[in-house]
Order: sequence, then structure tokens, then C-alpha cells
Amino acid sequence: MLTIAKLFGKSPFAPLQTHMDKVASCIGELPALFQALVAQDMKAIERVSQQISRLEHEADLTKNDIRTHLPRTLFLPVDHGELLEILSLQDSLADQAEKIAERSTMRKLQLLPEMREDFSSLCTKVVEAFWLAHKVIKELEELLESSFGGIEAQKVKGMVEQIAFHEYETSQLQNHLIKCLYQGGDAMPYPAFHLCLSLIEEIGRLACISEELGNRVRMLLELK
Amino acid sequence: MLTLVLGFYMAWNIGANDVANAMGTSVGSKALSLRRAVFLAAIFEFAGAFFLGANVSETIQKGIIDPTIFQSDPMIFVLGMMGSLLATGAALQLASYFGLPVSTTHAIVGAVLGFGACIGGIDAVNWRELGWIASSWILSPLLSGVLSYAIFSIIQRKILFALDPIESTQKMAPFFVFLCFTVVALTLCSHRPDLSTKLAIGLSCLIGLAAAMASRLVVQRITTPSLQTAEGVTPYQAVSLEKALHHLQRVHLSNRDAAYSSEISNVLGHLQRLTDTVRKKTSFLYSTNRYQGVEKIFVALQILSACLVAFAHGANDVANAIGPVAAVMSVLKNNTLSTQSAIPAWLLAIGGAGIVIGLATWGWRVIETVGKKITELTPTRGFSAEFGAAATILLASKLGLPISTTHALIGAVFGVGMARGLKALNLQMLKEILVSWIMTIPFCALLSVLAFYLLKLCFM
Repeated sequence: MLTIAKLFGKSPFAPLQTHMDKVASCIGELPALFQALVAQDMKAIERVSQQISRLEHEADLTKNDIRTHLPRTLFLPVDHGELLEILSLQDSLADQAEKIAERSTMRKLQLLPEMREDFSSLCTKVVEAFWLAHKVIKELEELLESSFGGIEAQKVKGMVEQIAFHEYETSQLQNHLIKCLYQGGDAMPYPAFHLCLSLIEEIGRLACISEELGNRVRMLLELK
Repeated sequence: MLTLVLGFYMAWNIGANDVANAMGTSVGSKALSLRRAVFLAAIFEFAGAFFLGANVSETIQKGIIDPTIFQSDPMIFVLGMMGSLLATGAALQLASYFGLPVSTTHAIVGAVLGFGACIGGIDAVNWRELGWIASSWILSPLLSGVLSYAIFSIIQRKILFALDPIESTQKMAPFFVFLCFTVVALTLCSHRPDLSTKLAIGLSCLIGLAAAMASRLVVQRITTPSLQTAEGVTPYQAVSLEKALHHLQRVHLSNRDAAYSSEISNVLGHLQRLTDTVRKKTSFLYSTNRYQGVEKIFVALQILSACLVAFAHGANDVANAIGPVAAVMSVLKNNTLSTQSAIPAWLLAIGGAGIVIGLATWGWRVIETVGKKITELTPTRGFSAEFGAAATILLASKLGLPISTTHALIGAVFGVGMARGLKALNLQMLKEILVSWIMTIPFCALLSVLAFYLLKLCFM
């Protein structure tokens, strides 16, 4: 009889990684968006924005699917709450990408000349931080194999520390940019000023969420 | 004769359905191919049935019901046992048709109990023995769970959490081999009346050690690239340095003496810089396919434990088929009811053969299905679960207690799950097990009484 086979439930870890891939496809559109932002190409921004919206919706469907298939009677090596937290954070990454895209469509972005370089750095750094978080989620499979300990845990710990460092650098860049904006923004019309400020903050938020995601995974580890 | 046919049919059923639960996990984790699994299962099931099946068979034969109650009319006893076999067979057939999980052991015990209680009266049943059996049904999944938890925790701590998993595996593998062989040797040796307990334990340990030595030789030959980076710095150093750093920080914080304070902070600064450099140099990035190497070594161990489970299963479950047959045989041969008759070896052989044939004709298909569904039990987990289950079942077989092998396996898998070893377990199964416990016994008891009356009509 198939009694033993019925003992094993549907593992939520593979769907979690699939969801992260969907989120990655959202974030993958962001570099194109940032380029269009700097070039002030509104048509391109519209196009990419709609694409990101569509991808974010797909990710949401996967997320709801995972949530429905996580009954209380499923026994997991990690707490249900922690798993759902990680899922939530992944979802907020996609949401954040959509938010940035929507903001960009509001108006043409006016950047002060001294801010251009730092703004590009900010954009690249933030996307890098995300890809590191993506790598961490990909490591979940190996972590399960090593029962969340050992050299695999050390490896993931190193990765999480890298994300934290990226977030720190992003913070620095953000502060510098905002300072430039406040000091040189007297001539700008208020809406343009506000859009600039808002966009810088939203873009920086992406790195924050990535760091939080990394920390949540780190909390699962058994480090000696 | 009819009883033999019925007994053979039961054995066939056991071979067809139950063995899959024992061997399916090994096929699923790709430790064994289907052919090899069936082959090994056949050998070990027969061996278990033949060499160790007598204890439990005796319990079912005369432990549950007192045969002397039927002195006035031995035929009733005979028909009752036959009825039990018939009822159990029917119940199992129904259950597998509807896809319900029913344990063969629970079924036959329930059937015999039903016959004894209804026909022979309340006094016919040996309630003390039944009490033992019932408690063993609760304790056996728990015990196998605890054992698997222990084994997997050892694997976790010593191997998975170690900084060089493959080296640790090479050190630990002989220990596990020792455990397996000692357990088997112990059950076989202490079975004989001519060996004293001390001698039995000593002999088992020796056999275990011999096997361990042999396995050590095999394992040492596996050469793996050592865990060194290009600059000659091992991850072990990085982790050790960090530990030293933490200890020194602790000293620094608890230090009250101003004289030492500056020296400590000096050393702390140096150590911090050293740790950072070493950490940068060691890259853990290519060290994580080590776990595949660990799993490969454990494949051999899992094969070993799978054979152990097959052996234990044969020992415990052959009694379900042969016990009643033996009871009938002893009555018909000697025309008396005694509590002393032993189980003849040829009967055990027939039981074993029945299981093997059941396995060969139908069982392999079930093993294939189970193996396809269980793909998550990697060799390390599989070994822990199978060893825990096998040890428990062997212990129960030694004590003559019929337990459900399926439930022991389920308990073992839960044990591994508790130790954070598995991805997802369905706790619903616990409810199902409870329900099947409560339902099986009265159902089979009723069926058995019905069968008895049916047979009485036919033969009297």
C-alpha cells in the first residue's frame, strides 16, 4: 500500500524559488527603466512600466498559490511564519519595482548635473544587491540538504554579509544624492524636486528589502 | 490443505503490498535499482522469515488465545484460525481495493481476537498478552522515531555541520556499519539457547567490529580533493579564527584591570585584521558540492539498512500468515491442543516463499509506484529512518511482539523530520493511522466471527 508515499507532503521550497525567479524577471526590467529615466525617454518608460506591472501580477499569482497550499498540518524544517515572511519580502521586492516604474511615468525626471554619475551608481548597486539576494534564495536547496548548518551555512552567511555591505553603500550614495538635491535644488520647480527625491528614496528601498530578505534567511541558519 | 492455501495467500499478500513500504524508500532515493531492490528484498525477507520468524509466529499461534479452552471440540479452534486467515485476507483485499492503509498485523491480531472473544468466551483470550501487544503498537513507532532522530542528529552534527563533510563521513561510516551488523548479530545470536547473554553480546560486537574494519578499508580508498584554496588557506582556519576573535572579545569585555586593557585591545585589533584577511582569502563558494559526495557514500549504507529492514520485516510479518496455520497444523497432526508445540521450520520456509513470490509477481509494481513518489528521501535521511525502523522491528520480533512494520517506518520518518531533515511531512498521516487502528480491530474481529460461522456451515 502507498502509505509511506502519502507521508511526504508537497514541499513549498521549490515554489518559493520559482516565485523568486518571477520577481527576478521583474527586477530584470529595471536597468532598462533606469536608462530610459536618465535619457528622459517617456515612451520607453511607459513600455517598460507596463511590462513590469504584468510580471508583478504573475508573481502575485504564484505567491497566492503558495499561500493556499501551505496547510497547518504540513510539518516543515522551518517555521511556517518564517517561510511566509520570506515570501512576503520577495513579494514586496516585486511591488517595489512596480512602484518605481509607476513613479517614473509621472513626469520627466530632472537631474542636476552633479547627481548624474551617483544616480547611475545607485541604480546599478541596488540591482546588484537584489541579485545577491536572489543567489541566497537559490541556495535554499543546498541548505535543506545540509540541514541548515555546516559549511553551507557559512557560505550563506558570507553572502548575506555581502548584501548588507551593498545596502550600506547604497545608503551612503542615497544620502549624498539627497544632500546634493537639497543644496542645489532651489531653481527646480517643486514637482520636479519632489519626483527626484521620491525616486531616490524608492530606489534605495529596494536594497533595504533585499538586506531584510538576506537577514531572514540568516535567521534560519544553525551557525556555531 | 485449505489452511495452507489460505496461509500462502496471506503471505503472498504481505509480499505484494507490505514490502513496498520497506524497500520503496531506497528505490526512491536511487540507492537501488528496482531489480536489485526486489532481488535483495527477496533474499532478506526469506532469511528473516526463516531464521527469526518463529518468535512472533508462536505469539499469534498460541499467545493470544488459550487453545486449551477448546479441548472439548478441537475442530472449533481449527475452524476459528482458518476463519481468521480468511477474514484477514478479505479485509486486506477490500482495503487495497479502496486504497485504505491497513496494517496486516493489526488485521490478523484483530481477527484472532474476535474469534477468541466471541466463540471461546472472554476467558479464552490472554488479555495480558494482548495488553503487551497493544502497548507495543503504541511504543514501536515512538521507539523507531526516537532511534531515527538520534541517528540523524549524529549524522547532522558530525557530518553535515562539519567543515569537511566527506572526511567526517569517512570517519563515521565504519561506526554506522558496526551498529548495523551488531544489531543483526545480536538478534540472531541471542535467539539461540546455547549461547549465554554475555557471549552473545561479545560475539555480536566482534562481528560488528570486523564489518566496521572492512568498511573502513573500502571508504578510505575514496579519494577526494582536499578542501584547500589556491593560497593554501582552509575554511577551517577562517572559522577557528572567528571563534578566537569572539573569545578574545569576551575577555576584553569582562576585563577590569586597566593594565591589561590596552594590550588586549592591541591583540584584538591585530586578530580582527587577520580574520578579515583570512576570510577574504577563503572562498566557501566552491565547497558545497561536498554534500553529493557524502550522499554517495551513504548510498552503500542505505542499501545495508534496506536489507536490514527487509530482514526485520520478514521476521515480524511472516507470523501474520504462518501463526494461524501452525496452530491448525499442531491440532490436526497431533489431534490434541497443546501450548507447547513449536513452529516447524518447513512452515516458516513456506511462509517466506509466499512472501518472495508475492513480491516477485505483484510487489515489484507497488515498489516502483512508491519509489516514483518518494524522491526526497536522500541516502542520509533514508539510512537514519530505515535503521531506526529496522532496529525497532527486530527488537519486537525478538520479544515475540507482532507490530506493524509500516507504522514503525512512519514513526522513523517522523523522527528524521523532527530533526529538521526533511522538506515537508504530512501530519494528516497521524490522524489516518489513529483511525485505522481504531477501525481495523473491530472490523476484522467481526469478519473473523462471520468467517468462522461460514466455515462451520461448510465443514460440520
